[in-house]
Amino acid sequence: MTIVCAAYRRSILADPRDADLKLRAHRDSCAECAEFSQRVARFESRLARALAIDLDAAAGAARPFRARRAGSGYRGAGVGRRGWMALAASLTMAIGVAAGLWLAAPRASLAADVVTHMAEEPQAWRSTDVPVSSAALGAVLHDAHMRLTAKAGLVSYANSCLFRGHQVPHLVVQSDGGPVTVMVLVHESVPAEVQFADSGYRGVILPVPGHGSIAVLTRGAADRATVERIAARVLGAIVWTA
Amino acid sequence: MNDQAAGNAKRARFQALCQALRPDLLRFAFWLSRDHSVAEDVVQETMLRAWKAQDSLADEAAAKPWFLTIIRREYARTFERKRFDTVDVDALVASEEPLLAAEEAQDLAELRRAVFRLPDDYRLPLVLQVLMGYTTAEIARELDLSNAAVLTRLFRARQQLRVLCGENTRSDPE
Repeated sequence: MTIVCAAYRRSILADPRDADLKLRAHRDSCAECAEFSQRVARFESRLARALAIDLDAAAGAARPFRARRAGSGYRGAGVGRRGWMALAASLTMAIGVAAGLWLAAPRASLAADVVTHMAEEPQAWRSTDVPVSSAALGAVLHDAHMRLTAKAGLVSYANSCLFRGHQVPHLVVQSDGGPVTVMVLVHESVPAEVQFADSGYRGVILPVPGHGSIAVLTRGAADRATVERIAARVLGAIVWTA
Repeated sequence: MNDQAAGNAKRARFQALCQALRPDLLRFAFWLSRDHSVAEDVVQETMLRAWKAQDSLADEAAAKPWFLTIIRREYARTFERKRFDTVDVDALVASEEPLLAAEEAQDLAELRRAVFRLPDDYRLPLVLQVLMGYTTAEIARELDLSNAAVLTRLFRARQQLRVLCGENTRSDPE
């Protein structure tokens, strides 16, 4: 292992998303570091899934504001020191907020799930002018009963991903503003356009009548107008085959 | 009447914000405390504190880091009076085993147990990066560390995790 190999590996073990340009160039020219990078990416995908545990589901539909467990060692904000009026005010507010949260069911939103999924495939976010093989792209699109016209632009990544219990196409399209991820969510309907900005990602989920929805997201400095323009372009390039 | 309507709208906005963020906040508190019950309590208390301090939140887009900071302070405050000299990690793992092993593949359960075994100094920046999508600079700001210190902790965290999970680490850097 050379000094550059060690620097590259140390760098991606600290932040797999963000090796600097020189180190990334080294990876592209070093088979051992490329192989190491793939192993780290697989481990990172598992780590993201492990941390994104659905606590409410796992714990059996726990309530957002439930009674404190005896002996949990937690004493909160010192209720005993407050006067009874402060306690009553807190309880009134807590009950109001809790009722709202409980009625709305505490599951992650579609946008939040899309963003979480991004962390599982960090290797997809690459600026490149190398298109994914037509065979790989064709297989992913065929399974989703769709194809893309050239209007979509250069597709550099295509994978069929498990998302909310369904296999969905996960594509990366190259744009002037860098790589853009597209997820075709045939099983997820949204009543109207959903804009979101979360964890460094900016995106939009658009309803697709008869075919669920499509999520388009970027990371970095892309503004809302850019995301909407790319979403419209990709949507216009989809041809449904079923 | 207008005041009442404004109050209702304010409360509705706050509820919507809490509802959207709650799953992530609870996950963060869980990996911070390694105790589901404590995590639930800390998030509950955090929302009460946030409600009272909501005027200090200038931009709703910055709500998540604002909540996470409150969670960290709230959790730290919780144990100001109740500090443990040592932590029995085996007991923590055993008490949360049903959650750690919930659903999916066995390798995820193994990884979750390994995350439980990471020291706080390594676990927290790792969770902020992987789960919350924080950049190195954002983690450094949140934890009051230098960027270099954050990167070192993240490197050590993954290095330890890989060893604990039996990964091939022969080609890892020192």
